[in-house]
Amino acid sequence: VNGTSSAWRPFGDGALWASRPHEFESAEGGLALGLALRACPGVIDAVVTEERVCVYFDPEARPRGLERALEKARIEGASEAPRDLVVRVRYDGADLTEVATRAGLSEEEVSRLHASSTYVVRMMGFLPGFAYLGGVDPRLALPRRAVPRLRVEPGSVAIAAGYTAIYPFASAGGWSRIGRAIECELFRNDTGARLRLGDRVHFERVG
Amino acid sequence: MERMTAARPFLEVLAVRGLATVQDAGRPGRMHEGVPPGGVLVPELAARANRAVGNADGAALIEVFGGVTVAASTGAITMACEDGSTRTLAAGESLEVKPLRALRVRYIAVAGGLAVPDALGGRGTLLVACLGGHEGRALRRGDRIPLGEFSDTALRDVRAELSLDLSRAVTVLPGHDGERFEADALTTLVGHPFTILSTSDRTGARLDGPPLRRKGDDLGRSSPMVRGAIQVPRSGSPIVLGPDHPTTGGYPVLAVVARADVGQLFARPLGATVRFALPHGP
Repeated sequence: VNGTSSAWRPFGDGALWASRPHEFESAEGGLALGLALRACPGVIDAVVTEERVCVYFDPEARPRGLERALEKARIEGASEAPRDLVVRVRYDGADLTEVATRAGLSEEEVSRLHASSTYVVRMMGFLPGFAYLGGVDPRLALPRRAVPRLRVEPGSVAIAAGYTAIYPFASAGGWSRIGRAIECELFRNDTGARLRLGDRVHFERVG
Repeated sequence: MERMTAARPFLEVLAVRGLATVQDAGRPGRMHEGVPPGGVLVPELAARANRAVGNADGAALIEVFGGVTVAASTGAITMACEDGSTRTLAAGESLEVKPLRALRVRYIAVAGGLAVPDALGGRGTLLVACLGGHEGRALRRGDRIPLGEFSDTALRDVRAELSLDLSRAVTVLPGHDGERFEADALTTLVGHPFTILSTSDRTGARLDGPPLRRKGDDLGRSSPMVRGAIQVPRSGSPIVLGPDHPTTGGYPVLAVVARADVGQLFARPLGATVRFALPHGP
């Protein structure tokens, strides 16, 4: 259960965590929360997930001003606006048939449903540039695969646990692959992650 | 008139046994993009190698799980290993750095540091993203790595400086998922030795020992992670997160290794045992 005010608790000697305050529950709220905390003196980084928020610092130099930063973010919201990204997808993933069977839909319906929603970045993690996209149609909310694939190709569009995602890099993974993103660079060596919390993603079906 | 300058020396890789990468002090401040903090596996040992040749503690150097043979190419270079020993190689001269049974990794620093490009605030290699280091990949035979500027008056004898005590217990602080474990899990962790498994790497040290008993299932919800966090999957065998750990994870965290002790845990060779202790407890 998310708290009303943040109670920071130690996570080792170089991090503090708190339940994600409910007034920052939305993806845009998460963006505001992360930006505000990263601007605090002594904070090296802040990571926001669905239920928790965590700040990182040097054990010799504790961070300051966390509460004040949260208060300011509550009143003012995010200092930067969410962005939109359109990703072209070819719906020919290796697990598409299986997903359709498990969902009781045709492959055509799975592709159409997946491409018709607008998704929001709920969380970043797992791999550099990997965005957990929320807003999946409940009919496509399948659990993770029991046995993870040893290799999921970069650019794979996959679904699991109520999220959809595009794999920025090859990795083992327990998600079901339903398609391939075309010319979609989610992480660059010079600018970092293309997506961040709160950004919106639209899939455009090309096959 | 054009001035002739002496060709800058290179470090040439002649042979690699095991996995060798360029690493440095890490790439802080990008975990919110899914980028792990990175950094050398054992900061104390890397710092000693760097200090010996007058580099900053966090200068880019070679980290090798195993051994490596390097040579000075184009000009003389001065280098040091994690034990603080230094050696100057004339152009064309080579040095074999052999694997050590007592250490998981070795470090080879070169005066001036390895001048690989800065990538998102760090020069270290993140293999999963082909990021940083030398062309974003592990070092291999034939690689030629450029070196930074240095003055040859900066050599220091650091061999007697504090070394790591690998027999000492590793300090842990209780984690934040206590309610997801049986009452005896933490006492089991600090009460028994654990063995470092061969599946350990820069993402984490996988340990074998008495099972750390959990309550309930994985919740499927990922939370922020931290270097040194002791995650416990359903098997009950813990994983201590290393510098290249995924930034988020769904397994409950029983305890977190104190930052100052992370290096001495990861310095231990595969198959070695480790004991954990609470700060003021037994």
